[in-house]
Amino acid sequence: MRLLTAVLRTIRNSRRLATGLVILAVLVLVALFSPLIVSAIGGGKDPIELAAYDKWQVPGPGHLLGTDQFGRDVFAMVVKALSVSLQIGAIAGVISTVVGVIVAFVAGYKGGWIDNVLSTFTGILLVIPTFPLLIALSAYAKNVSLFQVGLMISIFSWPFAAKTIRSQVLSLRTRPYVDLARVTKSRDLEIIVTELLPNLLPFIGVGFASSALGAIFGLVGLEIIGLGPGGVIDLGQIIFNAIGTGALTLGAWPMFVVPIALLTLLFAALNMVNIGLEEVYNPRLRGVAGE
Amino acid sequence: MTAEAPPAVATDESQDSAPVSGVRAWLSRHPLAGYAIRRFGLYVVELWGALTIAFFFFRLMPGDPIQTLIQTLQQNYIYNAQASTEIITRYRHEFGLDGNLLTQYLTYMQKLILHGDLGPSLINYPTPAQTVILRSLPWTIGLLGISAVMAWILGVVIGAIAGWRRGKFGSALATNLSIALSHVPYFFVALILVYIFAYSMGVLPARSAYDSNINPGISPDFIGSVLKYGLLPGLSIVIIGTFSWILSTRMLMVPILGEDYLVYAEAKGLKGWRILTRYALRNCYLPQITAFGISLGFIFNGNVLVEQLFNYPGLGTTLVTAIQQLDFNTILGVTDIAIFSVLTAVLLLDLVLPLLDPRVKYWK
Repeated sequence: MRLLTAVLRTIRNSRRLATGLVILAVLVLVALFSPLIVSAIGGGKDPIELAAYDKWQVPGPGHLLGTDQFGRDVFAMVVKALSVSLQIGAIAGVISTVVGVIVAFVAGYKGGWIDNVLSTFTGILLVIPTFPLLIALSAYAKNVSLFQVGLMISIFSWPFAAKTIRSQVLSLRTRPYVDLARVTKSRDLEIIVTELLPNLLPFIGVGFASSALGAIFGLVGLEIIGLGPGGVIDLGQIIFNAIGTGALTLGAWPMFVVPIALLTLLFAALNMVNIGLEEVYNPRLRGVAGE
Repeated sequence: MTAEAPPAVATDESQDSAPVSGVRAWLSRHPLAGYAIRRFGLYVVELWGALTIAFFFFRLMPGDPIQTLIQTLQQNYIYNAQASTEIITRYRHEFGLDGNLLTQYLTYMQKLILHGDLGPSLINYPTPAQTVILRSLPWTIGLLGISAVMAWILGVVIGAIAGWRRGKFGSALATNLSIALSHVPYFFVALILVYIFAYSMGVLPARSAYDSNINPGISPDFIGSVLKYGLLPGLSIVIIGTFSWILSTRMLMVPILGEDYLVYAEAKGLKGWRILTRYALRNCYLPQITAFGISLGFIFNGNVLVEQLFNYPGLGTTLVTAIQQLDFNTILGVTDIAIFSVLTAVLLLDLVLPLLDPRVKYWK
């Protein structure tokens, strides 16, 4: 409860953080209600079904964003794809944050040779170019599900989270209240959960937002090369479709402008959350935004 | 101060020598050299580790490149007979795919380190993979390198001014735009630019790196054509890159602006512009140089999506073609070059930074 009020106070104090969270919340709500929205657009039939309507209709009152080469309603597709893109962000974000947090705590809290080994390993993974490996992985792993793609992306994104959080653990570890806890309590796990974790929440939040951002872009990239998971449509696939079918030359601008605008909004919101959190917890940066 | 290399024999004995004389004493007298040696050791370990992980990652992938090659050969030469075991064995040997994983690994590393040989490429057999990569490398370095330099200069200048004039409308606008756009993939901007300039207005080309009617060479026509074709992909990288440098420069500037020595400089009666360039910017351009060096290292990754969209003959396009055709040697080669360049860039920066900035001290 105390934690919740603290979180709320933080959000109220940073306009940037609040804006980012509100945009995110709106996007998540749209994603959550996407089945309802899609069926409302369809009005009884499935608007994403092949040949549901005439092909290549221009935007108008019937179809706000027109239809694509298969006669699917672009607006309905975009709404559904948004929820897929958000899902991949959530899946990969959660997995890589959890792994990153565990590695960071073990390395930063234990120190010594364990820290050396783990940090060197994290450093090595950080310099391996991830996109080639990701392309390679999904080129050979045909028929992968969305969850598996999320898992693959997390393999490469947890080191970023681990690195940021570890440096914070290192600075927190030497604080007097941690020493006090160490003298009175004996178990490491208890100290980590009750003393360190609450203080690291903003950095974990930053780690999550960055991983989610990376994962959403990773999937978009895969789709644009044509290697995404089968059976689902995400925003990247709509863009890929638009390029592949010549929507650019045909003037069917909603097919790529709308997904790009939505993703840009999403990236902007996640970045606002990131910078907002950093500003709140790093006094040196406070006022950087010029507020 | 220069980092002198110690005698080669001495490093091996560093553990058992007495502190009074020998290596320990020498190191304690030359802390910078000690730091350089330790830093270089870490570099070697990281380089080895990353190359090893990349090697095993691609070897453990399912897919048989030799079968693909033989199929290609059969199609190309209308050679329909079943490939004999000898041919397969011969190809396996040439591609370094014979023996168990460990022998394959040792052969690969030996060839890579001793001869800089990445093995034959499958897409352009029998051209070696390093030749295929070297052919596309200039395009990637040219496109991404020039764009990166432009983005950095623009970003640092605008970011510094935005930080200096904070609170003003223009500054707030630049900052908020940067926050919104600094993480947008280059590719999105590229796509929008292609739509506007290539398809709607038809003023700039959307594909390839130069006009195919002009012979490549050092001629004004060819260079003009390369610049014209590189404008859209380059612009997309410069736009987004500038925004992210604006943001980071501003973040570095603002804390500096509260420092006492700036107040003192102002009290001395120095002009605002002079304070900005000589006092404020000087203190934040060092981290920006570091970040820039690292980002130059990442250039060798190529930019797969932008290059794909423009069909630009750079590393990214080579990589995608290689992956589609299971060309392991080329894929691994591109990955190795990326790893090497990033690690080397970081190493050089770490070694050079103490010389540039007396405050930087990594050693005790």
